[in-house]
Amino acid sequence: MQYALLIYEPQAESYAEGEDGQAWKDILNAHHAFGGELAQSGAMRGGAGLKSTDTATTVRVTGEGRTVHDGPFAETREQLGGFYLVEANDLDGAIAWARKLPVAGNGSIEIRPCVGMPDPA
Amino acid sequence: MSPTLEQTYRESGGRVLSALAVAFRDLDLAEEAFADACARASELWPADPPDNPAAWLYAVARRRGLDLIRRRATAAAHRPDAPAPEPTPEDHVMSLDDPIPDERLRLIFVCCHPAVAPEARAALTLRTVCGLSTHEIAQAFLVPEPTMAQRPVRAKRKIAGAGIPFEVPGPDRWPERIDAVLSTLEVAYVQAHADAALAGPHARFAAEVLALTGLLSRLTPQDAEVLALAATVRLTEARRPARLDAEGAMTPLMDQDVRDWNDPLMREGETLLAASAALSRRHRRPPGPRALQAAIHAVHADRRRTGVVLWPAVLGLYDALLSRRDDPVIRVNRAVALAEVEGPAIALAAIDAAAAPDWLPWRAARADLLARLGRGVEAAVEYDAALALSPLPAETLFLKRRRAASLRA
Repeated sequence: MQYALLIYEPQAESYAEGEDGQAWKDILNAHHAFGGELAQSGAMRGGAGLKSTDTATTVRVTGEGRTVHDGPFAETREQLGGFYLVEANDLDGAIAWARKLPVAGNGSIEIRPCVGMPDPA
Repeated sequence: MSPTLEQTYRESGGRVLSALAVAFRDLDLAEEAFADACARASELWPADPPDNPAAWLYAVARRRGLDLIRRRATAAAHRPDAPAPEPTPEDHVMSLDDPIPDERLRLIFVCCHPAVAPEARAALTLRTVCGLSTHEIAQAFLVPEPTMAQRPVRAKRKIAGAGIPFEVPGPDRWPERIDAVLSTLEVAYVQAHADAALAGPHARFAAEVLALTGLLSRLTPQDAEVLALAATVRLTEARRPARLDAEGAMTPLMDQDVRDWNDPLMREGETLLAASAALSRRHRRPPGPRALQAAIHAVHADRRRTGVVLWPAVLGLYDALLSRRDDPVIRVNRAVALAEVEGPAIALAAIDAAAAPDWLPWRAARADLLARLGRGVEAAVEYDAALALSPLPAETLFLKRRRAASLRA
């Protein structure tokens, strides 16, 4: 089963010095190590780190049509900062990876099972 | 339901359903297959009762479940449905041994996974593992029935959708799971304990919780609260033989003849409590709420050696418990101890402050205090209110006797 591990972090607090700061470098190194462990175990299916939400653009879809806006989907303290796609036998397997996942400061990791594609016959 | 089916359902339903759920790793499928097997049983058993009804239900439901899985797999190909399988003589052969694996503990851990909403864990467990109805669970938690009905449905969807494993977790994951597991067992045991004669629908919980807490304490001998709950269940269950008099009326704790208590079981409880206390001391932790509860029962157990109950000790333990876990059950029990230490007038004020009018023990305790204060007519009114809550026969007989005595005094 595939799970998405969605990383929510308080960006403004955790990376006050931006992408040149030490906090950013540290978390990149931590993700490098974590990603390496994932890949080595054969559980890595994909993922990416996301640039800060000042670079976000949102397309809103309503009955009237689609409009483009500056900013993220929702203005909240914790923002989606990146995600991993992992292969795990069950939720406990996905939780075990989430427990190891590096997070800058206080954040959350939301675990979402992916919609399964039918097995090739 | 024919009498045997009803009896089998009551005695073995949870065990059969747990085994099916673990075999299929799918709670909904297990429930559907089990319901179909019960329907088959109601048709076939009156003419041809099986030797081992529980094994029959398990075997037929298992085959039915496999059939349902096959049908779902072939549904896409639009093949016609296969005919439902008929029970065959092999179902009777199965009864030679006990072929139902006991998966209840495993299912308890599935239902109490931290990814399941906390308020749904006990509800789902009690429904699946113990076979309680939504109505009974709603009553046990003092929650409206429609609210309670939604919880297991949502929880089952989460278990299936998120891929919660049907496994007992490794020991490193126990601390975050064990509290929900213990709370669930407590709720189940309270149902059995309230029934002195073991005549009600949850009588089997007494033996089941005794077995499951024993199993848990062997699996985690390093968890003080697990040992404490196992101790409480043993210390209280040991009093079971003394809880009915010759006429079948419930006998309250202080009127019980200690010679009727089950001494080996009580000693087992005392040993478990001592082990729990030793663990807390070693880790320099204060005793947990379940250890305090067990300690209260241990003070009562001492009566078989000393002939008296150290009520101030009981009261102190209830005070400690109340500071950890404030609920009406503890308040009422504390008031009963308070009556012995400070007298019935002060205890009555405490009971009135803990108002739980729909709860039988509250009514019974209040009635008793009024009678002791010589307020016989008010006591009789309170006994009537208790009787209106339709207690089981043994409790009814006891309350009626007390009511008559309060009017004579």
